[in-house]
Formats: sequence, C-alpha cells, structure tokens
Amino acid sequence: MSSIAEERPHWSPFARYRHALWLLTRRDLRVRYSTSALGYIWSVLDPLVMSGIYWFVFTQVFQRPLGSDPYIVFLLSALLPWMWFNGAVSDSTRAFLREAKLIRSTKIPRTIWVNRLVLSKGIEFLASMPVLALFVVFSPGSAINGDLVLFPLAILMQTVLTVGIGLIVAPLVVFFRDLERATKLVLRFLFYASPIIYGTSNLPEELHFWAAFNPLTGIFSLYRAGFFPGELDWFAVGVSAVMSVLILAVGLLVFRRLERSVLKEI
Amino acid sequence: MPETEATPVVMTVTDAGIRFRRNRRGRRNFKDLFAGRKRRSRPGEFWALRNVTITVRAGEAIGVVGRNGQGKSTLLKLVAGVILPDEGTVDVRQGVAPLIEITGGFVDDLSVRDNVYLTAGLHGMTKAMVDARFDEIIDFAEIGDFLDTPYKHLSSGMKVRIAFAVISRLEEPIILVDEVLAVGDKAFREKCYRRIEELLASGRTLFFVSHNERDLRRFCTRGLYLDKGALVLDAPIAEVLARYNAEYGTA
Ligand SMILES: Nc1ncnc2c1ncn2[C@@H]1O[C@H](COP(=O)(O)OP(=O)(O)OP(=O)(O)O)[C@@H](O)[C@H]1O
Ligand SMILES: [Mg+2]
Repeated sequence: MSSIAEERPHWSPFARYRHALWLLTRRDLRVRYSTSALGYIWSVLDPLVMSGIYWFVFTQVFQRPLGSDPYIVFLLSALLPWMWFNGAVSDSTRAFLREAKLIRSTKIPRTIWVNRLVLSKGIEFLASMPVLALFVVFSPGSAINGDLVLFPLAILMQTVLTVGIGLIVAPLVVFFRDLERATKLVLRFLFYASPIIYGTSNLPEELHFWAAFNPLTGIFSLYRAGFFPGELDWFAVGVSAVMSVLILAVGLLVFRRLERSVLKEI
Repeated sequence: MPETEATPVVMTVTDAGIRFRRNRRGRRNFKDLFAGRKRRSRPGEFWALRNVTITVRAGEAIGVVGRNGQGKSTLLKLVAGVILPDEGTVDVRQGVAPLIEITGGFVDDLSVRDNVYLTAGLHGMTKAMVDARFDEIIDFAEIGDFLDTPYKHLSSGMKVRIAFAVISRLEEPIILVDEVLAVGDKAFREKCYRRIEELLASGRTLFFVSHNERDLRRFCTRGLYLDKGALVLDAPIAEVLARYNAEYGTA
C-alpha cells in the first residue's frame, strides 16, 4: 500500500485541462474511426458527394457562372470548413445530454464538453485537407498564391466563432429542448446564406454590406484567398473577426451563468 | 492517525446551501435562468442543503447519516465539485476520488478497459500510471474475463466492483463513498471494506454515507447528521448515531 505522497504528477490547471480535453477528443475520434470499416473515407465522402452534386448542378445543368473556376476547388475550399462548423455546432446541442453520466461524476472544467467537439471536428477538417490539395493539383486551371498563408488565420477565427456558438447553444438546449431542432434548421438556412456554393461577388450589390455580418462570409473568404485572390474581402474579414470575438465573449458569459443550473438539471 | 490542530485542513465548507426545483414541469424562462445566484428563492424551489459549515482535516473519517432525501448525496456532490453551491463556499484543497454515482460515471458503450483509462485519465492520471495499476485493478474487481465487454452488459454488482476498484486506486487524498457498495456480494463488500481501511491507514480522508450502523462505527470517527437540509449535529460518530436513533428510533 502506497502512502499519500504519491508519484502523482503535479499538474498545472492548464496542463490538466489539456490532458482531459485531449483524452475526450481522442476517444471521439477513435469511436468514429474504429467502429466503421471505412472510417476516414466516410468523413471525406460526405463533402465529396455534396460537391459532386453542386458541381454537376451548377456547371453541367445550369451552366450559370457561379463562384470561380475551377468550381470544384471553389466549392471544396468552403464546403470542408462548413462541415467542421456544421458538425461542431449540431453536436454541441447534445454536448451535455449525451455525456450526462460522465459530467455528473467528474469535475473537469465544463467548457471541455463543448471544446472537445470543436477540436475533434477540427481535426477531421484538417484530415480532409489532402482531398482539397488533390483537387487543386489535378484540376486544370487551378493555381495557388501567397494568400495561402491566411489559411491558419481562417482556422483561428473559425475556432473562436465555433467555440462561442457552442458555449451558447450547449447549456441552453438543456433547458429548452426545442432549441435542438431550431439549431438544425438555422444551420440549414445558414448553409445557403453563406458563400459556399457561390461567392460574395455573385450576390446583388446591395447585399454585399449585409453579407459581411454573417461571420462565415469573412472566414470563407480567407480560406479561398489562397486559390482565388478575388475572393479576399478585408471588410468582411474585419467584421467577422469582431463578431467572432464578440460571440465568444457572449458564449463565455452565458456558459458561466448557466453552468450551475445545468449541473443540477442533467 | 489522530487529528490535532496541527493536521492540515483539507476542506472547508462555509455556509453552503443549494436549492433545487421541485417540479420539472414548471416552465423555465430566460429571466430566471440568467438571474444568477443572488436571486431570491422561487415558489417551486426548496433548499436541499442550507447553512452547512464544516472543516475537515487530513485523515478524518466522516460518516454522514440522515433519512432518505435529507441531503447526504447532495453534500457529497458539492464536495466532489460536480454541483455548485447557490450560497456560501465549498473549498476543497486536495484531489477527490468520488464514488457517488452507482456506476462511478462509467460510460455504457465503452468497454471495461476503455472505461478504466477514461475515468482514471479524467481524474488526472497519465497513461503510464494507469498501465502500472491496471492489472491490480482488474484483479481486485475479479472481472478479468470481461475486459472487452461493453460496460452496459455487466451485472450491477460487477459494475460497482470495477468502479470501486478504479476509484480507490486514483491515489487521491480524499475519498467519497455513497452507499453504492451495498450492491456487491458479501465477500466483495468485505474486500472493499479492507481496502477502505488500508486507505485510511495511509492517511486518506474519507466521507462515507451509509444506512448501516455497523459499517459507520467500523470506519468513522466523526459523524454528520443531516435532517431537512440542515446540519443538525457534527460530533463523534457514536454521539451522532445515538441522536439519530433517538429521533427516528430504530434501535
Ligand atoms: N439534481 C436534482 N434536481 C432536483 N432535486 C434534487 C436533485 N438532486 C437531489 N434533489 C433533491 O434533494 C433532496 C436531497 O437529495 P439527496 O440525494 O441528497 O438525499 P440523500 O440524503 O442522499 O437520500 P438517500 O438516503 O435516499 O440517498 C431530495 O429531496 C432530492 O429529491
Ligand atoms: Mg443518497
């Protein structure tokens, strides 16, 4: 029998947070990739099939010039980040409900239950980057430019935004279950309201200003800048950065306020 | 280990209180939710615990008694930090290994093996530390043949076995045990009790909830008697049990 002066490592709160976050994220990924034979394939097949459909509809059926050429690269460069955003936000509606048992018996900082969803979907997003790279290499007429360095900035802004929304949605759903369906609906709307299958330049002139207030507009324009210099819109990026930080601040506030009640409720 | 003034304080609970909603159906509204902890009590709510003040020193073994629904589990949950007080403060200065949910928070769909690593990991153990203890934990729980069985397919006794085996090996200085052991068979319960005695001998601090007077007398030196959400008596265990029996005479 050992005494209390154990070899238990002395963690700083930050190291402890990181350890627990990583543990749960890894479990998420393992569950997803080990329970299905095709694992990784599924996570890229979904966006690929969607891109295939949109590519067919908008270049073969309608032959309406939308976005930029090559259209498939244009699509994927926003669709893949969208999958990350969509997946993390819709999973966060169940962040507390799905793990209620674990949450009721461990006292790790509760933001981990949201952040680990953003992280695991984010890792899947990074893992899908080779697909984008393949299409860039093999699509005739595609090119890259120096703005590709903006990619990490886009990832950072998207992380801030997604965490912020997750922190708002996750605790509220515990009290208002209808919010789960509502979130799914808003996400579907947001898919068409964001420049994914089209570019901001395809919108009527008078909508450009307002489109910038969808934080995804600026973020997607950053992702695309490295392949389509014309898509970069610093005004939208600026608005998006401010909004993302604001949403994160609101998220932290909401989360702090509701945490106590959430723990009683689950 | 005798507790003296010199023994370090591991936890102070000061005027702590927590209230719950009585009926789930009552509609919630935004204003309520965001009102924070300062708001007044609303009609549908009651205090499950209130004005609880305790100081605990390292190495104490504390038995918590009270009738059903008087706030014993709630007190342990506050100490474990899995719920937060609406009033007052709960200041726990050392790590806590809680066995408060009957299943120790294990996840139904994961295998026993994954559950062990996950639970121990969330309590701050590195993989190497779990590796070093893994065989001993499985031996203790006697479920070596079910390592890859999903947790949900274990019998309730087996669930408690593995949960206790893990929690008691977390090497945390404070241990909380809430009744759960009642599910195990007699031989296993005896084994758990011997483990608890070992832990106490090595200087751990114990919070023990039980309706079994013999068990309480066996481990605990100090008793807390909770009634209607108030801490009625904080005294040596014999005194606490005498008072409890006098009020709800069973003895
Ligand atoms: N999360 C919760 N939401 C609403 N009410 C709760 C919650 N947790 C506990 N309560 C209520 O608080 C009171 C105290 O419950 P607690 O579980 O602490 O009792 P206990 O002393 O452990 O009883 P027992 O001996 O039956 O285990 C009970 O009336 C219970 O219904
Ligand atoms: Mg109880």
